[in-house]
Amino acid sequence: MNLNDCYNFSDFRKLAKKKLPAPIFHYIDGGSDDEETLKRNTDSFSKFDLVPNILASVGEPDLSTKVLGTKIDMPLFLSPVAMQRLFHHDGDKASARAAEKFGTFYSMSTMATSSIEEIANKAGGPKMFQIYIHKTQGLTENLIDRCKSSGFNAMCLTVDTIVAGNRERDHKWGFTTPPRLTLKSLMSFAMHPMWTMNYLTHEKFQLPNVSNFVKKSSSIAKGVMEYINEQYDPAMNWKDAEYCIKRWGGPFALKGVMSVEDAKRAVDIGASAIILSNHGGRQLDGSRSPFDQLPLIADEVGGKIEIILDGGIRRGTHVLKALSLGATACSFGKGFLFALGAGGQRGVESILQKMHDEIKRDMILMGCKSIKELNKSKVTLR
Amino acid sequence: MNLKDCHNFNDFRTLAKKKLPSPIFHYIDGAADDEVTYKRNTLAFNDVDLVPNVLRGVENVDLSTTIFGKKLDLPFYCSPTALQRLFHYQGERAVGKAAQKFNTMFGVSSLATVSVEEISSLVNTPKLFQFYYHKDKGLNNAIVERVKAAKFDVMALTVDTITGGNRERDLRTGFTSPPKLTLSSLFSFATKPMWGINYVTRGKFELPHLQDHIKEGTSTATSIGNYFSTMLDQSMSWKDAENLCAKWGGHFALKGIMSVEDAKRAVDIGCSGIMVSNHGGRQLDGARSPFDQLAEIVDAVGDKIDVICEGGIQRGTHILKALSLGAKACAGGRLYLYALAAAGQAGVERALGQYRSELERDMKLMGCTKISELNRNNLKFRNV
Ligand SMILES: Cc1cc2nc3c(=O)[nH]c(=O)nc-3n(C[C@H](O)[C@H](O)[C@H](O)COP(=O)(O)O)c2cc1C
Ligand SMILES: Cc1cc2nc3c(=O)[nH]c(=O)nc-3n(C[C@H](O)[C@H](O)[C@H](O)COP(=O)(O)O)c2cc1C
Repeated sequence: MNLNDCYNFSDFRKLAKKKLPAPIFHYIDGGSDDEETLKRNTDSFSKFDLVPNILASVGEPDLSTKVLGTKIDMPLFLSPVAMQRLFHHDGDKASARAAEKFGTFYSMSTMATSSIEEIANKAGGPKMFQIYIHKTQGLTENLIDRCKSSGFNAMCLTVDTIVAGNRERDHKWGFTTPPRLTLKSLMSFAMHPMWTMNYLTHEKFQLPNVSNFVKKSSSIAKGVMEYINEQYDPAMNWKDAEYCIKRWGGPFALKGVMSVEDAKRAVDIGASAIILSNHGGRQLDGSRSPFDQLPLIADEVGGKIEIILDGGIRRGTHVLKALSLGATACSFGKGFLFALGAGGQRGVESILQKMHDEIKRDMILMGCKSIKELNKSKVTLR
Repeated sequence: MNLKDCHNFNDFRTLAKKKLPSPIFHYIDGAADDEVTYKRNTLAFNDVDLVPNVLRGVENVDLSTTIFGKKLDLPFYCSPTALQRLFHYQGERAVGKAAQKFNTMFGVSSLATVSVEEISSLVNTPKLFQFYYHKDKGLNNAIVERVKAAKFDVMALTVDTITGGNRERDLRTGFTSPPKLTLSSLFSFATKPMWGINYVTRGKFELPHLQDHIKEGTSTATSIGNYFSTMLDQSMSWKDAENLCAKWGGHFALKGIMSVEDAKRAVDIGCSGIMVSNHGGRQLDGARSPFDQLAEIVDAVGDKIDVICEGGIQRGTHILKALSLGAKACAGGRLYLYALAAAGQAGVERALGQYRSELERDMKLMGCTKISELNRNNLKFRNV
């Protein structure tokens, strides 16, 4: 099996599973607790069916949309994801360049394995930075200021990760960053020699955005979960979010908002967007899926703030359903990550091409000329 | 596989299965008829989703709750279960000490294998005694007096075992108490030598609360179903429950209430709490799950007595969901029984510790710092 055999999410996932050492595959693939929310995120899309209109002389539909002050060529972009160099030796460079090619957002995690400056140099497309509020004094401000001077277009604050989720697959596989070689995981690394070769022969594994501040982040074995619990500030509150918005001064999103109450508050503090998300089912298991919650949120704050639906997207039709129910755009994590693991930049380009083609084909089948034409009348609750 | 590989309910269950002779494992693991109710007890939690709030400043979480006038550090406790020394030679001693360590309530069964007097000397945190109503009134009175003298805090009368449930796994494995070695079970006991050695060498198996009164308390093998059907009083009525409540004179609960009507009646006879429970699916198969029934019961009596949601709990989030619907606390049997079988007191401590850290984490992710902040706004049912 290789990239040419990958037609959809499941195929890329399968290929990534073959290529990646098991601890790393399961770090991407796993969710928290019993993974009920992880499953529901995708399953929830089946709750609504699309209802097409015919004979609409669609021609070539326009997939572009405007989100966070930037026009993007397709209504789907890359969610911020930590430590991409573990998934492919080109890491964030690969995903940022692929996103640039498709004229859509690449998002950089605070825990990225490339620096803000490096990516700004190497990729010219729209870029968003995902920030966490750290306990370490000055680190949050430092990151915001560096993004400003590097020309990032937007920023999001992740609010659903004040404590690490219970990812049991990581306990089982001894997943740490950089990987700690336990007996069981060692076997798996030995069985994936290509990955291991690339990992060892390319530049050193680092978290350059935070490494000057946090000694532990760079070379000693350290569980991501421990990092989160030590570094992220659980006392984070609305004042802190407001402070970040002011300091940044540009388009700003809160990532991980789920309740209607919080969505309204996001409007009040002047956020430009909320990212409706449960962190891909990796945090609070048993929490509602973003798609299930979307209609409630759209009813309350639609039109006042942009709504980005994040989580569970596997198909073009999922994007169409979300847009019909009031989302401004969608983002995905695992969708592009497996492609990155399967084939680096080419892999990410390949999945973006497929999602682009699916969205376009489905728009034609729906009888829609542009994203604006998607609304509640296009879907029916089963 | 050993204790440190156990990260959740299922891991403990797997390890228990490895350690226990199969008739004993299936006695814990099994339920009535087709086990439909047993499965539903856990699945019911998936029909409702949590909706978190963010940016609330949640550094410190307080998990304590007050039931039956006692403050517990955790919003869940160990339900009373029979015959614990069959599961691990430490039996009730292990569960009681673990519960004490976490300052939560320890439920002791009428069919316990360690006496209330000994438990009382070992455990000084809140204790509940689970009462079975026997035909022999002399036995009933004697038990009430002993439990009073042993200074237990709560008495819970089990009302859902008026006759033995149809536990088909027990029929197949020939489960009796104490274990009778039939040909098919002999093989299983022979393949778990550690269990056998501990069972034989760690003191005689007894039912100390019954043994002076009946032959089922002695070493004559009998089945649990048989005990329920022949020893318990099937004519037990509301009047009997009311009399028992008065005789006990302290906090009194009915365990196994499912209908709203019965919940209201429990208030009338002077109960301070009820356990909404179907006995872990071990009695009437096809019965509704406690979580499915919880909201109706809370609406009817939640402001008058403590409503406890019991059964099917395998995760911290299950507890959060029940508390959000209005339960005062949760309780469970299997949530600590597999851990007991897997590793005795150390196992139960590990399990309770994991539920505690799950609850702490989940409360933070929900944006809540106190149990009292959980309410129905935190939840959405999937079908609406
Ligand atoms: C391996 C992995 C790492 C992630 N790292 C981050 C991160 O560093 N910061 C963040 O805000 N979200 C992170 N996320 C969450 C994603 O941004 C996104 O919310 C999620 O993947 C969406 O769900 P999906 O994977 O079903 O598309 C991560 C997700 C995955 C799968
Ligand atoms: C092995 C076993 C023995 C039990 N023994 C008793 C008992 O002696 N008295 C009683 O009232 N309930 C007994 N129960 C029921 C529990 O108190 C509780 O209602 C049930 O376990 C809750 O379901 P869960 O196991 O899914 O948590 C027993 C349950 C199990 C699994």
